[in-house]
Amino acid sequence: MTVTQETNAAEELRVVGKRLPKLDAPQKVTGQTVYAADVHMPGLLYGAILRSPHAHARIRSIDVSAAEQLPGVRAVIHAGNVEQRPYGYGQDNIPLKPDKVRFVGDEVAAVAAIDEETAHRALELIRVDYEVLPAVFDPFESLAQEFPLIHDELPDLIGNVSMRWDFEDGDVDAAAAEAAVVVEGDYSSPQAAPAPIETHAVIASFAPDGHLTVWSPVHMVFMYRKELADCLGLDWRHITVIQPPVGGSFGGKIDIDPHDFITVMLALQARRPVRLVMSREEEFIGTRTRQPIHIRLRTGADAEGNLLFRDADVVSDNGAYNGWGSHAMLVAMNTITSMYRVPNSRIRSSVVYTNKNYGGSVRGFGNPQATFAVEQQMEELADALGIDPMDLRLRNANQSGDVTPQGMEITSCGLSECLRIVREQSGWDERRGKLRERNRGLGAAALIHVGGGARIYGSDGCGAIVKVDDSGQVTLITGASELGQGSETTLAMIVAEEMGVPLDAVHVINSNTDVKPWDVGVHASRTTFVAGNAARMAAAKARDQLLETASELLGAPIDELHVRDGTVEVVGAPERQIDYARLARRRLLREEGSVVMASAFYDPPTQKQVDHRGNISAAYGFGAHVAEVEVDPGTGMVRLLNLWTAHDVGRAINPMSCEGQIEGGAAMGVGLALSEELVIFDGEIVAPNLHDYGMPTTADVPRIVVNLVETIDPLGPFGAKGVGEAGIIPPPAAIANAIADATGIRPRAYPMRPWKVKEWIDTEERSHVIENGSPVDG
Amino acid sequence: MAELFVPQTLDEAVGFLESHAGSATPIAGGTDVMIDLRTGGVRTEWLVDLSSLGSLAGIDLDGEQLRLGALTKIRALEVDSRLARRATALVEAARVLGSVQIRTMATLGGNLCHATPSAEMPPALLVHDAVVEIAGAAGERSLPLADLFAGPGRTTLEPGELLTAVRLRIPASAAGSCYLRQTVRWSMDLAGVGVAASMEVDGAAIVQARVALGAVAPVPLIVPEAAEAVVGSELSPATALEAGARAAAACSPISDVRGSADYRRAVVSILVQRALRIAWLRATGDWPEGLLAPINGLLAEEPA
Ligand SMILES: Cc1cc2nc3c(=O)[nH]c(=O)nc-3n(C[C@H](O)[C@H](O)[C@H](O)COP(=O)(O)OP(=O)(O)OC[C@H]3O[C@@H](n4cnc5c(N)ncnc54)[C@H](O)[C@@H]3O)c2cc1C
Repeated sequence: MTVTQETNAAEELRVVGKRLPKLDAPQKVTGQTVYAADVHMPGLLYGAILRSPHAHARIRSIDVSAAEQLPGVRAVIHAGNVEQRPYGYGQDNIPLKPDKVRFVGDEVAAVAAIDEETAHRALELIRVDYEVLPAVFDPFESLAQEFPLIHDELPDLIGNVSMRWDFEDGDVDAAAAEAAVVVEGDYSSPQAAPAPIETHAVIASFAPDGHLTVWSPVHMVFMYRKELADCLGLDWRHITVIQPPVGGSFGGKIDIDPHDFITVMLALQARRPVRLVMSREEEFIGTRTRQPIHIRLRTGADAEGNLLFRDADVVSDNGAYNGWGSHAMLVAMNTITSMYRVPNSRIRSSVVYTNKNYGGSVRGFGNPQATFAVEQQMEELADALGIDPMDLRLRNANQSGDVTPQGMEITSCGLSECLRIVREQSGWDERRGKLRERNRGLGAAALIHVGGGARIYGSDGCGAIVKVDDSGQVTLITGASELGQGSETTLAMIVAEEMGVPLDAVHVINSNTDVKPWDVGVHASRTTFVAGNAARMAAAKARDQLLETASELLGAPIDELHVRDGTVEVVGAPERQIDYARLARRRLLREEGSVVMASAFYDPPTQKQVDHRGNISAAYGFGAHVAEVEVDPGTGMVRLLNLWTAHDVGRAINPMSCEGQIEGGAAMGVGLALSEELVIFDGEIVAPNLHDYGMPTTADVPRIVVNLVETIDPLGPFGAKGVGEAGIIPPPAAIANAIADATGIRPRAYPMRPWKVKEWIDTEERSHVIENGSPVDG
Repeated sequence: MAELFVPQTLDEAVGFLESHAGSATPIAGGTDVMIDLRTGGVRTEWLVDLSSLGSLAGIDLDGEQLRLGALTKIRALEVDSRLARRATALVEAARVLGSVQIRTMATLGGNLCHATPSAEMPPALLVHDAVVEIAGAAGERSLPLADLFAGPGRTTLEPGELLTAVRLRIPASAAGSCYLRQTVRWSMDLAGVGVAASMEVDGAAIVQARVALGAVAPVPLIVPEAAEAVVGSELSPATALEAGARAAAACSPISDVRGSADYRRAVVSILVQRALRIAWLRATGDWPEGLLAPINGLLAEEPA
């Protein structure tokens, strides 16, 4: 179902709003797509990495002599024979570890050989002498002073805390004193993996003149190029990064990782092109994860159900290095202060180092974790107040025109509409609280997430070039990256709409850093909004060049011209017409001719947050889910029966693609909620395989009902807002609330695997409620 | 890299295995062997491909006697409507094994001979008094199924011996069976606990019963004392509870990524009660014929 809140009647759309299959789908389903691991070239060598078997150890010495002598080995590298510099947020990482390893999987040495088997045999011949150090895996233990320092080389650190971020708005203590009801509790999340089908793969090749070409399925090609150059001492003007089609990422391939640098160093030393493809096990052990976040939260309201405050202590367990994963904490903070209208809020947070694989920027980036706490407390609070949770949400819902405590300016907001839709479709009013006899329950959760970019760097911009050649073919060269999310199709639709041509007249190129205009990269659900606006602006300029020529040839002013299917007509006299191909040729072939080509750069009107305040995004996305579960009280097994979703997408450029993003996101959210976890024992990921990791199958995910609410955002391209991450955010909270409705217990952590649910049932884990200052039984 | 030997007859297969003892491994569907080869769990010079021995596949139901060839695909068990009516536990075990793709490759013999403690088929066969037929260079022999298992991943087969068939008794009437399991996911998961139960009813009394467990001991377990708790009367919540408690006491689960020992013991008790109840409903004709139970046996009217 699509609900459009306002429509601009003057705007008659021909392509935007249509349900269209992805342009690259036929290629993918017939197996013709050439992914990074398929790239082949003469002389190619195979790379492999030696990883630390210890969670925390000093490297006393490395002996690679036997490996070097193995026939077929072309390069063996380690910190002692390469040039590399620290990199990453806080400069706390380095590709090959010189003196210390900090988690099981840390990179120690690498080999390039004539085939994979030889490369792996060579790894077995490398002798590393480790002095094993005490390790710490629990972030709360890591906060305690007596634990070993993980980054003793960074003098400014206090203990193992990499970041401390606090925020306060209003007067929480005064609000707490006034509250009729306060709920408090601890909510935790696990280490999880993005687990894309395509494992990481990189190819590096140096030309005889020293020019480096790298093939990598990374989201942020320009930043990647700069970091390669900075870390390895290369000249970034002589690096081309080619981005092959990406076989899924979900944030796991967002930025540069040690294996990227290592592949380049291998190619440099071997003087041959090198390809490194991760095994499935390595993908789990050695690439970025979703960080566990532990939230102690209090929410208070007055007797009518007006929220008065939120107060949170948050510990993000980001593992051995910062990466960008440390910043997931900031997204969690946005949700804690800004999901619903919260007049007073306070957060004390730390990002803590532990001896584990480190966090990255996985889809949802801190938001599912925070929403799990915030939205459970909405229902706990409602139950304590005797108010329906949906009424409580509607009473406190964010509205267009609001500015949140962190200065986020909400310009379009369909939250209330989303809540009303899922309330009605799920039969909430008749069924919630009434299914317990049948071991069933309903639970809801809403979401707020950036939907118009997120300014974390100096620029949040993206470039676009649109050209029209002599055939009339329109080409968009975009800075954006296709990861499988369908952005190329969406961008092509935006250009087709703006140019007045059919979709099949538009080609999209997003190949490499030499060709494409600069872009920050894919993150924060920003591509449709930011790259879409850039593409639209460039398309409008290219169209205007054609209209200028058409005006000359047809003898009519531009404002009397109209474009239909790539043909310019005079309004009221459609027989006076000329098509784009002829117009383009007229411009090319005349004296002092010119190409039809225009570029644009769109940087949204947003602010980098200072002291956690500022309008970080040009638009915000909203949504609401209701989950229905059956809980087996005997085994703790949870069956998800139904999931109703409604999302404020601004405008659905391609409804089918929006639904796909929401369904896919929600299915990932179901996995987080019920089954996915990287189980770690003594610092080691116990079963780094897809069978045990627990990604849900089709038997675990019911049909997901998707409703699209169109609020037509004032700044989005044709009113669109980002939707790439939204679907994954509510399910853990909604499913926890549904389990609570079915059983009366209160889930404290996800994944809600059967034995945990059974334990909560057996120990009668309940809400902690304080009414008028005194605790009551939940 | 192992070489493949494709025998034309059972004798040839057994002869080759005998003469290459220690360096040859049978491969049926390969859904376990191929993974073991990749992870290094199996190192072998020869793979002896049994899939060409078509005569080892097949489901023969003759009166109360059921004979299942070792090469019978799990999928064939799953879709057999006679088994769904009369040996429901077998079908309920087959339908949760892996995925359709896996079941279409996987064989019954492979499931038994891999001797995974959590394997699906052993408990479901044990409650039907299964006997395995074995062929070796020295001739044929048969064994009660329980005696096939020596430990995790180990059987009592001699080098060179092959499993050729499984024989079971399937009572023609007034009988019922059931297989339930606990998992994290609802498909493509290994059992944290697997439970099978069967019974025969005469009038209002249970005259014979069997309870078997998977995933909660080094080998699949048959628990006679649990079954005895329900024999001699109609099934009541109290007798089922006693059976569950005895089964929980008899098993020796480990704690691992699929749950703690205490949790698994508690689940054994619950699933035994449910499997007995469903088998009872089947035996007494109070269960729709051919309808499979929910995977965890939770029935809608069960109190919270
Ligand atoms: C993704 C996946 C999911 C799975 N899920 C489940 C599950 O849910 N439940 C479950 O129980 N199993 C599961 N399995 C395991 C596997 O599919 C089964 O054990 C299957 O029945 C094995 O049969 P096969 O024919 O493939 O055996 P193979 O792999 O061919 O052989 C298995 C072992 O038995 C030996 N062998 C085979 N046939 C004979 C014979 N006739 N005589 C003597 N030795 C023999 C082989 O030498 C080998 O040691 C799963 C496997 C995969 C890959």
